[in-house]
Amino acid sequence: MPDLIPFAQWLRATPASEWINRSTWVWPLCESLHFMGLSLLIGITGFFDLRLMGFFRRVSVEAARALMPFALVGFAINIATGLVFLTGLPEQYVSNRVWWFKVGFIVLAGLNAGFYETRLSASVLALDPHGDTPRAAKLVGFVSLVSWFAVLYCGRMLAFIGDAF
Amino acid sequence: MTDLFTSIEGSTLAAWVRESPSIWAYATILTLHTVGLAIVVGANVVVDLRLLGWAKGIPTESLRALFPIMWAGFAINFASGVLLFMADATTKSGQRVFYVKLACITLALLAARTISKRLRPQDGEAVPGNLRALATVSLLLWAGAIVAGRLMAYL
Repeated sequence: MPDLIPFAQWLRATPASEWINRSTWVWPLCESLHFMGLSLLIGITGFFDLRLMGFFRRVSVEAARALMPFALVGFAINIATGLVFLTGLPEQYVSNRVWWFKVGFIVLAGLNAGFYETRLSASVLALDPHGDTPRAAKLVGFVSLVSWFAVLYCGRMLAFIGDAF
Repeated sequence: MTDLFTSIEGSTLAAWVRESPSIWAYATILTLHTVGLAIVVGANVVVDLRLLGWAKGIPTESLRALFPIMWAGFAINFASGVLLFMADATTKSGQRVFYVKLACITLALLAARTISKRLRPQDGEAVPGNLRALATVSLLLWAGAIVAGRLMAYL
Protein backbone atom coordinates (compact mmCIF):
# COMPACT_ATOMS: atom_id res chain seq x y z
CA MET A 1 0.00 0.00 0.00
CA PRO A 2 1.42 3.44 -0.91
CA ASP A 3 2.19 5.76 1.97
CA LEU A 4 -0.77 8.12 2.04
CA ILE A 5 0.08 9.86 5.28
CA PRO A 6 1.78 12.87 3.56
CA PHE A 7 -1.31 13.26 1.36
CA ALA A 8 -3.56 12.97 4.41
CA GLN A 9 -1.57 15.64 6.25
CA TRP A 10 -1.74 17.93 3.24
CA LEU A 11 -5.52 17.37 2.97
CA ARG A 12 -6.02 18.04 6.67
CA ALA A 13 -4.27 21.41 6.27
CA THR A 14 -6.58 22.60 3.47
CA PRO A 15 -9.21 25.29 4.16
CA ALA A 16 -11.95 22.75 3.31
CA SER A 17 -10.78 20.43 6.07
CA GLU A 18 -10.50 23.35 8.50
CA TRP A 19 -14.05 24.40 7.69
CA ILE A 20 -15.45 20.87 8.15
CA ASN A 21 -13.76 20.58 11.54
CA ARG A 22 -14.75 24.03 12.77
CA SER A 23 -18.40 23.73 11.80
CA THR A 24 -20.80 22.29 14.37
CA TRP A 25 -23.40 21.17 11.85
CA VAL A 26 -21.50 19.80 8.80
CA TRP A 27 -20.57 16.50 10.44
CA PRO A 28 -24.01 15.57 11.89
CA LEU A 29 -25.74 16.72 8.68
CA CYS A 30 -23.45 14.59 6.51
CA GLU A 31 -23.87 11.61 8.86
CA SER A 32 -27.65 11.88 8.58
CA LEU A 33 -27.40 12.06 4.78
CA HIS A 34 -24.95 9.12 4.81
CA PHE A 35 -27.55 7.01 6.66
CA MET A 36 -30.32 8.03 4.25
CA GLY A 37 -28.05 7.23 1.32
CA LEU A 38 -27.23 3.78 2.68
CA SER A 39 -30.94 3.08 3.21
CA LEU A 40 -31.67 3.92 -0.45
CA LEU A 41 -28.67 1.93 -1.66
CA ILE A 42 -29.14 -1.19 0.45
CA GLY A 43 -32.96 -1.19 0.26
CA ILE A 44 -33.12 -0.98 -3.50
CA THR A 45 -30.11 -3.10 -4.45
CA GLY A 46 -31.08 -5.62 -1.74
CA PHE A 47 -34.54 -5.96 -3.29
CA PHE A 48 -33.02 -6.61 -6.72
CA ASP A 49 -30.37 -8.94 -5.25
CA LEU A 50 -33.09 -11.06 -3.62
CA ARG A 51 -34.96 -11.23 -6.95
CA LEU A 52 -31.73 -12.34 -8.67
CA MET A 53 -31.43 -15.02 -5.98
CA GLY A 54 -34.87 -16.30 -6.97
CA PHE A 55 -37.13 -14.65 -4.37
CA PHE A 56 -40.16 -12.40 -5.12
CA ARG A 57 -40.93 -14.17 -8.42
CA ARG A 58 -44.20 -12.29 -8.74
CA VAL A 59 -41.99 -9.31 -9.58
CA SER A 60 -40.28 -9.59 -12.98
CA VAL A 61 -36.49 -9.26 -12.99
CA GLU A 62 -36.83 -6.15 -15.16
CA ALA A 63 -39.33 -4.48 -12.80
CA ALA A 64 -37.23 -5.34 -9.73
CA ARG A 65 -34.35 -3.40 -11.33
CA ALA A 66 -36.44 -0.35 -12.19
CA LEU A 67 -35.70 1.51 -8.93
CA MET A 68 -31.93 1.21 -9.44
CA PRO A 69 -31.48 4.92 -10.39
CA PHE A 70 -32.51 5.74 -6.80
CA ALA A 71 -29.85 3.34 -5.51
CA LEU A 72 -27.31 5.26 -7.61
CA VAL A 73 -28.58 8.51 -6.06
CA GLY A 74 -28.02 6.94 -2.63
CA PHE A 75 -24.52 5.85 -3.70
CA ALA A 76 -23.72 9.37 -5.00
CA ILE A 77 -24.93 10.91 -1.71
CA ASN A 78 -22.67 8.53 0.21
CA ILE A 79 -19.61 9.14 -1.95
CA ALA A 80 -20.10 12.89 -1.53
CA THR A 81 -20.67 12.76 2.24
CA GLY A 82 -17.94 10.14 2.59
CA LEU A 83 -15.49 12.54 0.90
CA VAL A 84 -16.49 15.17 3.48
CA PHE A 85 -15.59 12.76 6.30
CA LEU A 86 -12.33 11.85 4.56
CA THR A 87 -11.45 15.52 4.05
CA GLY A 88 -12.26 16.26 7.70
CA LEU A 89 -10.18 13.48 9.25
CA PRO A 90 -8.02 12.03 6.45
CA GLU A 91 -5.33 10.41 8.57
CA GLN A 92 -7.81 8.51 10.72
CA TYR A 93 -9.30 6.85 7.65
CA VAL A 94 -6.27 6.13 5.47
CA SER A 95 -4.38 4.65 8.42
CA ASN A 96 -7.34 2.44 9.41
CA ARG A 97 -7.24 -1.01 7.84
CA VAL A 98 -11.00 -1.53 8.36
CA TRP A 99 -11.64 1.56 6.21
CA TRP A 100 -9.57 -0.07 3.45
CA PHE A 101 -11.70 -3.22 3.77
CA LYS A 102 -14.72 -0.97 3.31
CA VAL A 103 -13.23 0.53 0.15
CA GLY A 104 -12.40 -3.00 -1.05
CA PHE A 105 -15.98 -4.18 -0.59
CA ILE A 106 -17.29 -1.12 -2.47
CA VAL A 107 -14.98 -2.01 -5.37
CA LEU A 108 -16.08 -5.67 -5.21
CA ALA A 109 -19.77 -4.65 -5.26
CA GLY A 110 -19.06 -2.37 -8.24
CA LEU A 111 -17.20 -5.03 -10.23
CA ASN A 112 -19.94 -7.54 -9.43
CA ALA A 113 -22.64 -5.13 -10.66
CA GLY A 114 -20.57 -4.33 -13.75
CA PHE A 115 -20.19 -8.04 -14.49
CA TYR A 116 -23.96 -8.53 -14.21
CA GLU A 117 -24.81 -5.57 -16.42
CA THR A 118 -22.32 -6.40 -19.18
CA ARG A 119 -22.21 -10.21 -19.17
CA LEU A 120 -25.34 -11.60 -17.56
CA SER A 121 -28.27 -9.19 -17.69
CA ALA A 122 -29.26 -9.86 -21.33
CA SER A 123 -29.44 -13.62 -20.89
CA VAL A 124 -31.39 -13.34 -17.61
CA LEU A 125 -33.91 -10.94 -19.19
CA ALA A 126 -34.42 -13.42 -22.05
CA LEU A 127 -35.77 -16.01 -19.59
CA ASP A 128 -39.29 -16.27 -18.14
CA PRO A 129 -39.58 -12.92 -16.29
CA HIS A 130 -41.39 -14.58 -13.37
CA GLY A 131 -39.33 -17.75 -13.34
CA ASP A 132 -36.34 -18.95 -11.37
CA THR A 133 -32.96 -17.39 -12.14
CA PRO A 134 -29.78 -19.13 -13.35
CA ARG A 135 -27.13 -20.08 -10.81
CA ALA A 136 -24.78 -17.30 -12.02
CA ALA A 137 -27.48 -14.67 -11.34
CA LYS A 138 -28.08 -16.11 -7.87
CA LEU A 139 -24.36 -15.84 -7.15
CA VAL A 140 -24.25 -12.22 -8.37
CA GLY A 141 -27.21 -11.35 -6.13
CA PHE A 142 -25.61 -13.06 -3.14
CA VAL A 143 -22.21 -11.39 -3.67
CA SER A 144 -23.92 -8.00 -3.98
CA LEU A 145 -25.99 -8.45 -0.82
CA VAL A 146 -22.99 -9.65 1.22
CA SER A 147 -20.72 -6.89 -0.17
CA TRP A 148 -23.04 -4.02 0.68
CA PHE A 149 -23.69 -5.27 4.20
CA ALA A 150 -19.92 -5.74 4.56
CA VAL A 151 -19.46 -2.10 3.50
CA LEU A 152 -21.94 -1.07 6.20
CA TYR A 153 -20.28 -3.34 8.77
CA CYS A 154 -16.78 -2.00 8.08
CA GLY A 155 -18.04 1.58 8.03
CA ARG A 156 -19.63 1.26 11.45
CA MET A 157 -16.87 -0.87 12.99
CA LEU A 158 -13.88 1.11 11.75
CA ALA A 159 -14.17 3.34 14.80
CA PHE A 160 -13.81 0.32 17.10
CA ILE A 161 -11.40 -2.03 15.36
CA GLY A 162 -8.31 -1.11 13.46
CA ASP A 163 -6.97 2.19 14.74
CA ALA A 164 -9.77 3.73 16.72
CA PHE A 165 -10.83 7.34 16.49
CA MET B 1 -38.49 8.14 37.00
CA THR B 2 -34.92 9.33 37.42
CA ASP B 3 -34.34 6.59 40.01
CA LEU B 4 -35.62 4.01 37.53
CA PHE B 5 -33.26 5.18 34.79
CA THR B 6 -30.37 5.31 37.26
CA SER B 7 -30.98 1.71 38.31
CA ILE B 8 -31.32 0.57 34.67
CA GLU B 9 -28.01 2.24 33.84
CA GLY B 10 -26.44 0.64 36.91
CA SER B 11 -27.53 -2.89 35.97
CA THR B 12 -24.98 -5.55 35.08
CA LEU B 13 -26.29 -5.81 31.52
CA ALA B 14 -26.10 -2.05 30.96
CA ALA B 15 -22.59 -1.95 32.38
CA TRP B 16 -21.53 -4.80 30.07
CA VAL B 17 -22.88 -3.01 27.00
CA ARG B 18 -21.18 0.24 28.03
CA GLU B 19 -17.89 -0.91 29.48
CA SER B 20 -16.96 -4.34 28.15
CA PRO B 21 -13.84 -4.19 25.96
CA SER B 22 -15.33 -7.07 23.96
CA ILE B 23 -16.04 -6.35 20.30
CA TRP B 24 -19.40 -8.12 20.87
CA ALA B 25 -20.61 -5.48 23.33
CA TYR B 26 -21.15 -1.83 22.38
CA ALA B 27 -19.51 -1.92 18.93
CA THR B 28 -21.49 -4.92 17.64
CA ILE B 29 -24.78 -3.75 19.17
CA LEU B 30 -24.35 -0.33 17.55
CA THR B 31 -23.50 -1.95 14.22
CA LEU B 32 -26.56 -4.22 14.43
CA HIS B 33 -28.64 -1.07 15.00
CA THR B 34 -27.32 0.26 11.66
CA VAL B 35 -27.92 -3.09 9.90
CA GLY B 36 -31.52 -3.04 11.14
CA LEU B 37 -31.90 0.58 10.02
CA ALA B 38 -30.81 -0.33 6.50
CA ILE B 39 -33.34 -3.20 6.40
CA VAL B 40 -36.28 -1.28 7.91
CA VAL B 41 -35.80 1.98 6.03
CA GLY B 42 -34.59 0.22 2.87
CA ALA B 43 -37.71 -1.98 2.67
CA ASN B 44 -39.96 1.02 3.30
CA VAL B 45 -38.18 3.04 0.61
CA VAL B 46 -38.90 0.33 -2.00
CA VAL B 47 -42.59 0.21 -1.02
CA ASP B 48 -42.97 4.00 -0.83
CA LEU B 49 -41.25 4.74 -4.15
CA ARG B 50 -43.48 2.18 -5.90
CA LEU B 51 -46.60 3.75 -4.38
CA LEU B 52 -45.40 7.18 -5.50
CA GLY B 53 -45.48 5.94 -9.09
CA TRP B 54 -41.96 4.69 -9.79
CA ALA B 55 -41.26 1.15 -11.10
CA LYS B 56 -44.85 0.58 -12.20
CA GLY B 57 -43.87 -2.91 -13.38
CA ILE B 58 -43.82 -4.05 -9.73
CA PRO B 59 -47.35 -5.28 -8.83
CA THR B 60 -48.24 -3.30 -5.69
CA GLU B 61 -49.68 -6.28 -3.81
CA SER B 62 -46.41 -8.17 -4.35
CA LEU B 63 -44.79 -5.60 -2.03
CA ARG B 64 -46.47 -7.40 0.87
CA ALA B 65 -43.56 -9.87 0.72
CA LEU B 66 -41.28 -7.07 1.95
CA PHE B 67 -43.09 -6.51 5.23
CA PRO B 68 -41.85 -9.63 7.05
CA ILE B 69 -38.29 -8.51 6.16
CA MET B 70 -39.08 -5.04 7.45
CA TRP B 71 -40.43 -6.41 10.75
CA ALA B 72 -37.37 -8.63 11.15
CA GLY B 73 -35.21 -5.52 10.72
CA PHE B 74 -37.35 -3.74 13.28
CA ALA B 75 -36.92 -6.61 15.75
CA ILE B 76 -33.12 -6.22 15.43
CA ASN B 77 -33.42 -2.50 16.05
CA PHE B 78 -35.85 -2.79 18.93
CA ALA B 79 -33.56 -5.25 20.74
CA SER B 80 -30.33 -3.35 19.98
CA GLY B 81 -32.06 -0.04 20.72
CA VAL B 82 -33.20 -1.21 24.18
CA LEU B 83 -29.63 -2.28 25.00
CA LEU B 84 -28.14 1.01 23.77
CA PHE B 85 -30.72 2.93 25.80
CA MET B 86 -30.00 0.90 28.95
CA ALA B 87 -26.26 1.60 28.65
CA ASP B 88 -26.90 5.35 28.81
CA ALA B 89 -30.42 5.59 30.26
CA THR B 90 -30.09 8.72 32.40
CA THR B 91 -28.67 10.82 29.55
CA LYS B 92 -30.88 9.45 26.77
CA SER B 93 -34.09 9.69 28.81
CA GLY B 94 -33.37 13.38 29.32
CA GLN B 95 -32.87 14.14 25.63
CA ARG B 96 -35.85 15.71 23.89
CA VAL B 97 -34.56 14.55 20.50
CA PHE B 98 -34.78 10.94 21.73
CA TYR B 99 -38.56 11.32 22.12
CA VAL B 100 -38.75 12.95 18.69
CA LYS B 101 -37.01 9.85 17.31
CA LEU B 102 -39.41 7.48 19.12
CA ALA B 103 -42.41 9.46 17.87
CA CYS B 104 -41.14 9.37 14.25
CA ILE B 105 -40.57 5.60 14.46
CA THR B 106 -43.97 4.90 16.06
CA LEU B 107 -45.82 6.93 13.44
CA ALA B 108 -43.74 5.47 10.59
CA LEU B 109 -44.51 1.92 11.75
CA LEU B 110 -48.23 2.76 11.96
CA ALA B 111 -48.00 4.13 8.40
CA ALA B 112 -46.22 0.94 7.25
CA ARG B 113 -48.86 -1.28 8.86
CA THR B 114 -51.66 0.75 7.26
CA ILE B 115 -49.95 0.57 3.86
CA SER B 116 -49.44 -3.21 4.13
CA LYS B 117 -53.15 -3.69 4.84
CA ARG B 118 -54.26 -1.50 1.95
CA LEU B 119 -52.14 -3.08 -0.78
CA ARG B 120 -54.62 -4.64 -3.20
CA PRO B 121 -54.19 -6.37 -6.51
CA GLN B 122 -54.56 -3.66 -9.12
CA ASP B 123 -53.56 -3.15 -12.71
CA GLY B 124 -50.47 -1.24 -11.70
CA GLU B 125 -51.59 2.20 -12.81
CA ALA B 126 -53.75 3.86 -10.20
CA VAL B 127 -52.44 4.04 -6.66
CA PRO B 128 -55.13 5.79 -4.57
CA GLY B 129 -54.23 9.34 -3.52
CA ASN B 130 -54.39 8.60 0.20
CA LEU B 131 -51.94 5.71 -0.21
CA ARG B 132 -49.56 8.00 -2.10
CA ALA B 133 -49.85 10.56 0.70
CA LEU B 134 -49.10 7.87 3.26
CA ALA B 135 -45.98 6.87 1.26
CA THR B 136 -44.74 10.47 1.32
CA VAL B 137 -45.40 10.74 5.06
CA SER B 138 -43.56 7.43 5.58
CA LEU B 139 -40.43 8.67 3.76
CA LEU B 140 -40.44 11.93 5.74
CA LEU B 141 -40.89 10.13 9.08
CA TRP B 142 -38.00 7.71 8.41
CA ALA B 143 -35.78 10.64 7.40
CA GLY B 144 -36.85 12.36 10.62
CA ALA B 145 -36.03 9.26 12.68
CA ILE B 146 -32.55 9.09 11.10
CA VAL B 147 -31.79 12.77 11.73
CA ALA B 148 -33.11 12.62 15.31
CA GLY B 149 -31.10 9.44 15.97
CA ARG B 150 -27.90 11.05 14.70
CA LEU B 151 -28.51 14.22 16.68
CA MET B 152 -28.69 12.20 19.90
CA ALA B 153 -24.91 11.94 19.67
CA TYR B 154 -24.54 15.73 19.41
CA LEU B 155 -27.25 17.50 21.44
